[in-house]
Amino acid sequence: MAKIDLNGVGHCYSGKPEKLEDFALRPMNHSWDHGRAYALLGPSGCGKTTLLNIISGLIRPSEGRVLFGGVDVTDQPTAKRNIAQVFQFPVIYKNVTVYNNLAFPLRCRKLPADEIDRKVREVARLLNLTEQLKSSAARLSADAKQLISLGRGLVRNDVAALLLDEPLTVIDPHLKWLLRRKLKEINDTYNQTMVLVTHDQNEALTFAEKVVVMQAGQIVQVGTAQELFENPRHTFVGYFIGSPAMNFMPCRLDGNAVKVGEERISLPELATVDVPPEGKVEIGIRPEFLKLEHDASPDTLEVPILNVRDLGNFRIATVRFAGHDLKIKIPEARPIPSEKGFLRFPRQWTKLYVDDVLREPAGA
Amino acid sequence: MLGLYRFLKYSAILLWSAFVAGPFLWALTTSFKTSEGIVSGATYIPWLQYKPSLDGWGVLFRRGGQGIDIVDPYLASLTVTLSASAISLVLGTLAAYGLSRFSYKAGPIKNADITFFFISQRIMPPIVLSIPFFLMLQAFGLLDTKLGLIIVYVALLMPIAVWVMIDFFHNIPVELDETAMLDGCRPVETFFRVILPNCKPGLVVAGLFCLIFGWNDFFFAFMLTFTKTQLLPVAVVALNSSVTPWWSLSASALVSVAPLVILAFVVEKYLSRGNLAGAIK
Repeated sequence: MAKIDLNGVGHCYSGKPEKLEDFALRPMNHSWDHGRAYALLGPSGCGKTTLLNIISGLIRPSEGRVLFGGVDVTDQPTAKRNIAQVFQFPVIYKNVTVYNNLAFPLRCRKLPADEIDRKVREVARLLNLTEQLKSSAARLSADAKQLISLGRGLVRNDVAALLLDEPLTVIDPHLKWLLRRKLKEINDTYNQTMVLVTHDQNEALTFAEKVVVMQAGQIVQVGTAQELFENPRHTFVGYFIGSPAMNFMPCRLDGNAVKVGEERISLPELATVDVPPEGKVEIGIRPEFLKLEHDASPDTLEVPILNVRDLGNFRIATVRFAGHDLKIKIPEARPIPSEKGFLRFPRQWTKLYVDDVLREPAGA
Repeated sequence: MLGLYRFLKYSAILLWSAFVAGPFLWALTTSFKTSEGIVSGATYIPWLQYKPSLDGWGVLFRRGGQGIDIVDPYLASLTVTLSASAISLVLGTLAAYGLSRFSYKAGPIKNADITFFFISQRIMPPIVLSIPFFLMLQAFGLLDTKLGLIIVYVALLMPIAVWVMIDFFHNIPVELDETAMLDGCRPVETFFRVILPNCKPGLVVAGLFCLIFGWNDFFFAFMLTFTKTQLLPVAVVALNSSVTPWWSLSASALVSVAPLVILAFVVEKYLSRGNLAGAIK
């Protein structure tokens, strides 16, 4: 039970990396606090599993050090790290019973038989597996097998962290919710550090206190669901979290305004941001925060409305602005102007990105 | 329609069974015949068409004179085949696990090349290997000994074990090894406690192949032994003379093939594909 620190940890699968792009996981510093529930969110191939395997010791990082409670464990074998890991597909010892599956990690640690029995029964109760303890593990359904995988991690008292590598992929949708709740319950009961890898934003946001968003081998933002939604620090977070995705438009700064094509948006605070001459500059705003008004006012811009989609309790309007299609999420109760409307960019929610990274005005 | 299908299916099964069992039955009846029952045309029904006799079987257990003693070659064959198969299976399984799970590199040579090297031993015609083997055994004073034959057979059988087992290990998900290590096993424990119990069918198949090839080998048993050591295939061939003794040859053929037939019945359940699935699903 300890804080896990990654100091400059990076990994390249093919020998010596020559440039940053060679890394499957780019060198990074990150800490996982003890007892918290994290979600590791990102698209397939972004390095989530590599990061997990480095923590558990299945992969030795080509760079950097892994510390458990301040102790360097980079060269320690997996067996000595006391990490529990549940994989995407349930892994069970198929030729033995459920009981023996759950008892296996404790037998490896040579615990007395009565203690093994007590722990196995306790975890079986928690996971509702008591009835199946004597059954052959190979005959169970996929979700029961996944519970066994999870149970093998939970029987140990000394687990430093429970790593869950997309464990809900094979589970039926109606059971997913139950299992996710079970995971939360386990996190509360055992106060274990948990890292859930997923590419499903709903899963990440409902499970974790902190979500770690990864893209192309690097962590682009760590934050609560609210932080990721309200203040995406990278354009990828804007694209990946929220539905529909954040609106982005290339722009340039002009006096106290932001210019998109020939349109000027008056945003004096953003215009003070120091932008390098070669940088790619974009403004971004979430569809939830963009306003579509009926009447013109000094800070609105006239736009044609291309279409409106009704999605039950809200609607999505698409408007054309300076050659870009922007989405606006509008609650069901609010009327929408027809054909044309007036667009307003609230200052608080309009973000400026230089080379995909959020730039905030001085004093923000 | 279904009736016709069943008729065709059972006809095909019967035909194939007759094709397979026919030679055995023929050999069985022949082993109880004497020269009169054979040379005067085909005979089928005992006591009516020919007089059953145990002469053919008696030859196999007679010392000196016109017979051979099959017991010693039989025991020698059992010793050599079982020892060589066991050693090949142990070494081959370990080699296959290593090649399947770890990466080896020596200059341009990688895992796939090493695997091919193992299997390539079986590509060469045995005659190519016979002279080097002869010279090597001679140098170590192992010609005409069981130990010499065991060493040669290990070299011949291990590629089979590696070939079968490597494919088997490739089909066992690496996550099973990783889970065992996460649960607290060292790599050696992972292999013995988790992986090996999962590969019983593979071990049976590899073992069976080793036993079949080892037991049936005539070429090396003939080339590398003279008088002190004699294996069963060589002893059976030695039965032949200017007048082919079909009765005793048939008896010896049945005795030779018996252990493999019994073995096949014992391990049959492991040979079905159903045993291979289930570790990860």
